[in-house]
Amino acid sequence: MLATFVITWRETIEAALIIGILLAYLRKIGHHQEFRYIFGGAAAAVVASALFAGASSLASRLVDWIGEALFDSLILLAAVAVLTYMVVWMHHNAREIKGELLSKADQALARHQLWALGTLAFVGVFREGVETVLFLWGLMLQAGPVANVTLQVAGGLGGIALGIVMAWLFFKGFGHLDLKPFFKVTGVLLLFIAAGMLSSAVGRLISGGWLPPLIEPLWDTSWLLNERSLVGSLVAGLFGYRSHPSLLELLVYVGYFPLVLFWLRKEHHDLAQ
Amino acid sequence: MKPRPIGQARRRGSAWRRAAVLFWLPAAIVFWPPGASPALADQELVLTIKDHRFQPPEVRAKAGEPIILNVTNADPTPEEFESGALNREQVIRPGHTVSIHLPALKPGSYEFYGEFNPKTATGRLTVE
Repeated sequence: MLATFVITWRETIEAALIIGILLAYLRKIGHHQEFRYIFGGAAAAVVASALFAGASSLASRLVDWIGEALFDSLILLAAVAVLTYMVVWMHHNAREIKGELLSKADQALARHQLWALGTLAFVGVFREGVETVLFLWGLMLQAGPVANVTLQVAGGLGGIALGIVMAWLFFKGFGHLDLKPFFKVTGVLLLFIAAGMLSSAVGRLISGGWLPPLIEPLWDTSWLLNERSLVGSLVAGLFGYRSHPSLLELLVYVGYFPLVLFWLRKEHHDLAQ
Repeated sequence: MKPRPIGQARRRGSAWRRAAVLFWLPAAIVFWPPGASPALADQELVLTIKDHRFQPPEVRAKAGEPIILNVTNADPTPEEFESGALNREQVIRPGHTVSIHLPALKPGSYEFYGEFNPKTATGRLTVE
């Protein structure tokens, strides 16, 4: 039971962090009435995950057609795009907020910005959602004494429940930060999550034979941190840590930051004009 | 780029732009897929997942040549092929086959496992 609990909990942590940050952000800018866009995005992702994990739905046939590796990488790339947009936009908003007081009483959130928030909530949950549904489905289908199966499924569901609790904890925790530290901390976290997702996307494409790894493995740090350990799997899932990375994954990970920082500077410059 | 008035300092953002271009442009040119490593005759190995076990539990390959692992999930439940040493993880639905590409490897023993059934689904790729 503990084993299944840990597996699903690990898969929900990243989504929990993203959702917690989004909710805290909305509250910080006085828009808590728009929480429903976040919840809606997350709920849609749960439904979509079930559809894509299903055996014979159109959605799962789409996955079969383009291949699991390519499908995974497309989801990850979409998530990176939305996350990057989110970081740049939050940074932009942060500069408009003077000190502790909002310079405008209620910053109007444009329709497309709300949809961006919902989309981010969606991809955050959907990324691991399909895998989690597949895992739970496998648990429920297995043969064996009913008591055993029930315990395992309960463990799996418990992991998800803890993930939801953690989203709430992140929301509360980040909410306590003052504005400047909040934007700094969440900005950095989201950037590292995005870099991890980008290199994971590249990893999937390497696995599917679309990209060359260049040098693999570049190093072996499993003695330092192993992906199978609890801490290791968290760092791997959240920030894309790998004990035996390929050179291409590392280059992409590192190369992501100058790109985003350039975009951020450009926004800052445009604001200053 | 619009012309700068005399005396106006160049903005710092362009330093990041240069970094981004210096990094990504050569990368795109060198590593664009058509120009990337050509498909040599890869060794193809077959693995089957049955009763939450890998069959065979040990597969062998030659060092110095790229490898393709064709993993078929013959179980009615999904499994996730995962290996830290090989840097690969891939969910495989029941009845489906997935091709996992590996580069040429050094001689040694590379462990892999099924993340959904780690106690029984374990295996090893031996390269010599």
